[in-house]
Amino acid sequence: MDTLRIYLRSMGILIKGQLQYPVSFFLQTLAQLIMEGGELLAVILLVDRFDHLNQWGPGDLYFFFGLMSVTFYLTECFGRGITGNFPSMVRSGQLDTLLVRPRGILTQVLCSAVDPRRVACMAVGTVSLIIGSRMAEISWSASKALLLAESVFCGFFLILGLFLIEGILCIHSVKSVEIANALTYGGRSACQYPVDVFPRPLRTLFTVVAPFALVMHVPASHILGKPIFGWPGWTAFVSPLAGFVLFFVMTALFARAMRFYRSAGS
Amino acid sequence: MSYIHVQNLSKRFTVRKKREKGSLLREKEEVQALRGVSFDIGQGELIGYIGPNGAGKSTTVKILSGIMTPDGGEAVVGGQVPWRERKTYVRRIGVVFGQRMQLWWDVPILDSFSLLRDIYRVPEEAYQARLSELTEALSLKDILRTPLRQLSLGQRMRAELCGSLLHRPEILFLDEPTIGLDAVSKLALRDFLRWENREHRTTILLTTHDMEDISALCSRVMVLGHGSKLYDGELQDLLRRYDRTRTVDIRYGREGCVPAVPPSVVMEKNGDGFRLTYRPESYPTADLLSALQQAGPIREMTVQSQNIDHLIADMYREMDL
Repeated sequence: MDTLRIYLRSMGILIKGQLQYPVSFFLQTLAQLIMEGGELLAVILLVDRFDHLNQWGPGDLYFFFGLMSVTFYLTECFGRGITGNFPSMVRSGQLDTLLVRPRGILTQVLCSAVDPRRVACMAVGTVSLIIGSRMAEISWSASKALLLAESVFCGFFLILGLFLIEGILCIHSVKSVEIANALTYGGRSACQYPVDVFPRPLRTLFTVVAPFALVMHVPASHILGKPIFGWPGWTAFVSPLAGFVLFFVMTALFARAMRFYRSAGS
Repeated sequence: MSYIHVQNLSKRFTVRKKREKGSLLREKEEVQALRGVSFDIGQGELIGYIGPNGAGKSTTVKILSGIMTPDGGEAVVGGQVPWRERKTYVRRIGVVFGQRMQLWWDVPILDSFSLLRDIYRVPEEAYQARLSELTEALSLKDILRTPLRQLSLGQRMRAELCGSLLHRPEILFLDEPTIGLDAVSKLALRDFLRWENREHRTTILLTTHDMEDISALCSRVMVLGHGSKLYDGELQDLLRRYDRTRTVDIRYGREGCVPAVPPSVVMEKNGDGFRLTYRPESYPTADLLSALQQAGPIREMTVQSQNIDHLIADMYREMDL
């Protein structure tokens, strides 16, 4: 509980700091809005050209896009410490200053940054979710709403876990930004679309290795009433937990990497 | 019983070299950062830790502050082994890295301090008391609400010191705290460290390249070179050992006065006077003085010992560092 309090206080203080330059903040938020609006435009153009992609209609595609957009930028906003600064903290030795404080390293990294400008991207995502929901004529129920929340929540941890990979590799003094980016940013770009539109290798990658499909597409397709892979209904509630699993595996690897860091030096 | 006990501490790094063209494997090179360093420090001591770049000073500080695990040897600080139980240990220490800021960059320093209060779980009352004491001693009052990034380097360093002392650590590790500071800031920082050490009996281990820091603050100094301890004792003894020459600048009241001195004294013309460099052990000061006086009426004379930086440079050279 205490840890959560520290996290929330850090967020408050950091946001206050960023708002000291309101004009700059506003312009940068606007830039984010335009950027993510452009991404949405790609989906609009796609839907305009083809009225369906495999079994997915326009509403479905907006819904998938919106889910990814909200989840990914929620993570980039509140997990900014890990998604943004972490590798450079390792490289610059800034991690040392966290090690001399009586708190967990990951907690402190998470507390070190926030990016409220991403709210703009989340807004675009939310609009897309609403459009998708209307067009696909989703009949909402409590369990479907719960499923959506679960998907976003687990997606948050999935994406954090994937971003941790780069930090872990950095500790082992491997420069491999490309591999890590393929899974994080690459995963975002690809999995804005349901995974079954891709050829098998990509499908496997984003189901087994970086399980965006399990965390987002299985529950979303269930909400849309067209289960992907033809899996039964209960799987929609279980499969997002894959995001947690990945996150915990990565935190364990991170703890191991920290032991290496402390014995090998920087 | 000593407060900080270090025995035979050793640490080796593997440095990866850049891969040469045509070879598949990267070559690795082993660097021995510490080779069996031992020392004991009592509670409330203020100790200087010097040595050229790459001597292993920062490695020692990193090990003693629990950031790094050594390959061999032991260290016990206030009854705890630094690299075990990190979280309980670091609560008792403060660390300032001169080249790394630990406060939040875009945030007013008062907000940083209150976050540190939460991180270290300092009770509100103790925090307020300590904060007002440190604000006073470090003259931070006017900049408490200024974001760190808008502060000068000197102000920043004072804020960093305050941040690392809010939880009342028993030991303070300082890694080159005066690096890049102007003269006024340096003096203020030294005053503060002396005050903190005297007032709260905080044990301070100070790593620096600035010999003025050492001579102003520390009676005891440890010299490290190539990962081994080369000297441990009073600064004055160390200086006496290497401080063997004196320089005399002299001007006469009349033209044409030239003192007659033996060849062991180096004499050169210096403006309208002379500069003489001599070793008191080979030519006693009294003899030199009478020789100078015999040459004519002295208008002005100053005697200087060697610059402390030169001394240390000589010492490093002699120790083959």
